[in-house]
Amino acid sequence: MITQSWDFSRQYSQEHHEGNPVSSAAGLKQNKNRNKESQACSRALLGEMSAWTMGARGLDKRGSFFKLIDTIASEIGELKQEMVWTDVSLENGLGPTEAHSMVRQKADGYSEEKDVKPCPRDSGYDSLSNRLSILDRLLHTHPIWLQLSLSEEEAAQVLQSQPPGIFLVRKSTKMQKKVLSLRLPCEFGAPLKEFAIKESTYTFSLEGSGISFADLFRLIAFYCISRDVLPFTLKLPYAISTAKTEAHLEELAQLGLNFWSSPADNKPPNPPPPHRPLSSDGVCPASRQLCLINGVHSIKTRTPSELECSQTNGALCFINPLFLKVHSQDLSGGLKRPCTRTPNANGTERPRSPPPRPPPPAINSLHTSPQLSRPEAPASMPETVNHNKHGNVAPPGTRPAPVPPPRLKKQASFLEADGGAQPVTSGRPRAGPEREREQRERAREPEPERERERARAPPEEAPGRCTSAQPGASESRPPWHGGRQRLSDMSISTSSSDSLDFDRSMPLFGYEADTTSSLEDYEGESDQETMAPPIKSKKKRSGSFVLPKLVKSQLRKMSGVFSSFMTPEKRMVRRIAELSRDKCTYFGCLVQDYVSFLQENKECHVSSTDMLQTIRQFMTQVKNYLSQSSELDPPIESLIPEDQIDVVLEKAMHKCILKPLKGHVEAMLKDFHMADGSWKQLKENLQLVRQRNPQELGVFAPTPDIVDVEKIKVKFMTMQKMYSPEKKVMLLLRVCKLIYTVMENNSGRMYGADDFLPVLTYVIAQCDMLELDTEIEYMMELLDPSLLHGEGGYYLTSAYGALSLIKNFQEEQAARLLSSEARDTLRQWHKRRTTNRSIPSVDDFQNYLRVAFQEVNSGCTGKTLLVRPYVTTEDVCQLCAEKFKVGDPEEYSLFLFVDETWQQLAEDTYPQKIKAELHSRPQPHIFHFVYKRIKNDPYGVIFQNGEEDLTTS
Amino acid sequence: MQDAGVGQAPGRCCFEDTGVGKSSIVCRFVQDHFDHNISPTIGASFMTKTVPCGNELHKFLIWDTAGQERFHSLAPMYYRGSAAAVIVYDITKQDSFYTLKKWVKELKEHGPENIVMAIAGNKCDLSDIREVPLKDAKEYAESIGAIVVETSAKNAINIEELFQGISRQIPPLDPHENGNNGGIKIGKPSTQAGPRCC
Repeated sequence: MITQSWDFSRQYSQEHHEGNPVSSAAGLKQNKNRNKESQACSRALLGEMSAWTMGARGLDKRGSFFKLIDTIASEIGELKQEMVWTDVSLENGLGPTEAHSMVRQKADGYSEEKDVKPCPRDSGYDSLSNRLSILDRLLHTHPIWLQLSLSEEEAAQVLQSQPPGIFLVRKSTKMQKKVLSLRLPCEFGAPLKEFAIKESTYTFSLEGSGISFADLFRLIAFYCISRDVLPFTLKLPYAISTAKTEAHLEELAQLGLNFWSSPADNKPPNPPPPHRPLSSDGVCPASRQLCLINGVHSIKTRTPSELECSQTNGALCFINPLFLKVHSQDLSGGLKRPCTRTPNANGTERPRSPPPRPPPPAINSLHTSPQLSRPEAPASMPETVNHNKHGNVAPPGTRPAPVPPPRLKKQASFLEADGGAQPVTSGRPRAGPEREREQRERAREPEPERERERARAPPEEAPGRCTSAQPGASESRPPWHGGRQRLSDMSISTSSSDSLDFDRSMPLFGYEADTTSSLEDYEGESDQETMAPPIKSKKKRSGSFVLPKLVKSQLRKMSGVFSSFMTPEKRMVRRIAELSRDKCTYFGCLVQDYVSFLQENKECHVSSTDMLQTIRQFMTQVKNYLSQSSELDPPIESLIPEDQIDVVLEKAMHKCILKPLKGHVEAMLKDFHMADGSWKQLKENLQLVRQRNPQELGVFAPTPDIVDVEKIKVKFMTMQKMYSPEKKVMLLLRVCKLIYTVMENNSGRMYGADDFLPVLTYVIAQCDMLELDTEIEYMMELLDPSLLHGEGGYYLTSAYGALSLIKNFQEEQAARLLSSEARDTLRQWHKRRTTNRSIPSVDDFQNYLRVAFQEVNSGCTGKTLLVRPYVTTEDVCQLCAEKFKVGDPEEYSLFLFVDETWQQLAEDTYPQKIKAELHSRPQPHIFHFVYKRIKNDPYGVIFQNGEEDLTTS
Repeated sequence: MQDAGVGQAPGRCCFEDTGVGKSSIVCRFVQDHFDHNISPTIGASFMTKTVPCGNELHKFLIWDTAGQERFHSLAPMYYRGSAAAVIVYDITKQDSFYTLKKWVKELKEHGPENIVMAIAGNKCDLSDIREVPLKDAKEYAESIGAIVVETSAKNAINIEELFQGISRQIPPLDPHENGNNGGIKIGKPSTQAGPRCC
């Protein structure tokens, strides 16, 4: 209950904030015409909405606004997908030129675009791609203006030579906040002024302004258009605001901070040299192809930002709600799309079957690549090319036979059942406006993506791959896949889309994968069920709609609105998840290697705790890496308010590490518990406890009745389907809340732990679920350590305690003592709680070496020393002599005790390397570094005393 | 569950005891005066409370510990990681004072190294049937370096002072650890752990 409402309010606030700029902007002085325009648009929007809802289905029954929105979103998703399909067939059937004429017909008023020809070198290209929005420009060039580490002096220095209005965003060490450093004109006295950026939990805003934004880019984009609390609007450097292509922007961005001092930073009087043709054309032939696509995409209406770019003293504020939505969609699209297109784990791309169509001509051929399934794919060059890049990693010929993912199968059958209404529609050419809009969207693909893609994948490759490499599966891949994903993108429910997305992108390991992903599928859905009202049935049926083209086009607009509901947080999580599947990044390699290592090496952990702790440690380390690395683009700080960064990273870790590992981990936990007998012990004792009456368990408070126990059981079962320890804990808290409610409602007094713990024990016993044991363990070990002290940690501790009581019931009766084993677990858990926090980074963690000191008289003591990887044994010996206060260091040396044998380490060896080598062996070895007398009896008995504490880690 | 504010040093406290009104102390503590700071979201066994201390705000995460003998073995789970422990005894029951001593001993032996201990003699409103003289408690507390107060959860006497005292004794956490820990645990003749960093 609690979680749900929390979720909702959170979503609500998010939407609220996203909506904010619109509404507040509307309140500002606006150019009258523009205002009218915006009104008209909103009216149109509403019109569409109602017309469509009425026509579509009786939604009134659903009651909830959110459900309504979600349903609309899903409908749109289907439609969008459908339209994309149409687009492909259109290109297939009619050829690009004809397709283009369609556009021309509709795109009256945008005469420049009419000149576009399919020829990639066409000169119209430049003018077309000039239509980059401010948001695009900002997104692509953040390495230039987003300089978080810049000091005040440095910022002043950079801005000194800039015209008024130029800005930087940096982090002020004084204020401990991000600030917007703005260059002022001379008449203002000071050369620059800083405006603090306020970060709330979900939004960014300028200090003193009531307008908040979902991320930094939107904030800056807004202030490029409207001054609000600023003395004037922000200005982009000339080179950036006049850059004609994304490639150009990207080039500028490469310069980073050097941009400001480089000749690239032209002032208006000297227009920038036209370096586009050389560079982009020279780099890769693929870019030409892209040009065309881009050109076509770029046919679009003018966005506020475009208008603004050229006229610096334009309207104070010009915000058209519709456009704004389009923008936000861009951003979200840019961030989320990649993950759908990125191949998965293990670096092997999941094979997807080609569409059930003959191999198309060059341009279309790209669309037949796996991404086809995505709604935007057909027209979107970047995506397909990106795909190709992975093709390079795993060449087409060597790919495994395509295995259609279960999701697809489902959809296929659904399609059949539905009578194939879609295919019919999809055959028709798409109407101009829709197409136009899509192009607009595509044109806004974030530059990095495109760039990367451009650099790879000559288009010619594609047809061969699609047709020859994956011939077998053509029928199995219904054209609907994309619709699914689109719809999930737009879904308001975060969890649902997560899971759907995951389905799609989940790596398939040969044929086994089928089961894996259907499991995931189930899990994902369950996630959704608990977090948001299920709307699946609606989604499924929605596909059978055939709406007039006009309506569709309008819906498309709507979908933009809805996809902007995706919170920056979610976008970031997706982005990270996508990155984790991309083996071309260090982070992706790290994650994928680890995941597959764990899955393949079942023997590498000695106990369940060991396994879970290693995973937890890995997650913590990867989180640290991510927060320090520059692999995330745009940087996480620009999208997520600072106090939320860790939370978001943690979520992302769950998604990219725990999600793929969940099944494996569960199986392993069970194996461990079977092997050590605790499963059996719990089973037997659980039966015993169940036969006791509540009083015998120390219960003196009201207990839940059978109905409540059933409810609790359902919650526990839902818990089992989650992969995120946090979500599991949320469910545990709901269970506890329910128990508390029962206790308090039936007696009217407050209960402390004295009463609660017995009742909890009783309830857990009544639920009779052996799996709870592994669940609790999973949560305890994998939950973010910082949460272990809060309410979640408390009730988790209580649940663990209750289970221990049950497990040791017989013993308890005799001795009333927790088994030493359980105490041991507790101690380890505590250790984790205390140690994990002090691990600042991967490197630091690896920089320690535990060395034991063995003396005949004093027994054995151990110390953890700071030993970097390239420190030699000789140096370690010196360090030891110092730390252990050895008077005659020449008598001592460092020994390695492993496999019951002693080896004296040579002076020029590296202990850390030896340690790493030992750790990397598949079989765990118990080993110790021992600093002791050279002449000592090598098999000294004393050593054993300290052994337990000496386990290196 | 987590502190967001700058300068907040969270503390975790555990309360230990049985039948001496420990739960009521906590309830009283979180309810009085600072209503806006309470978050008894699930139930009274875990609560949070923010206490101003000098220029800082200390956030207490209060972990109640089941005090019955049968749960004794679970106590380490609760007091480990605590910065302070409040051990509650009943001034009208000599037995509870002995139990308190056992808890203190256990905490000294197995508890966190720098745990701040506080002894609370509850039910001081019933001093006419008192069995444990205040002097005894004070002497004992001094010998173990603990804070001692006599409280009345019923009349809200000294409850605030108890937590203020703990607050002052809890070493400031360095910023790195800030925001994660600290809890007070409540137990029977109670042991209570105050904010501690882990």
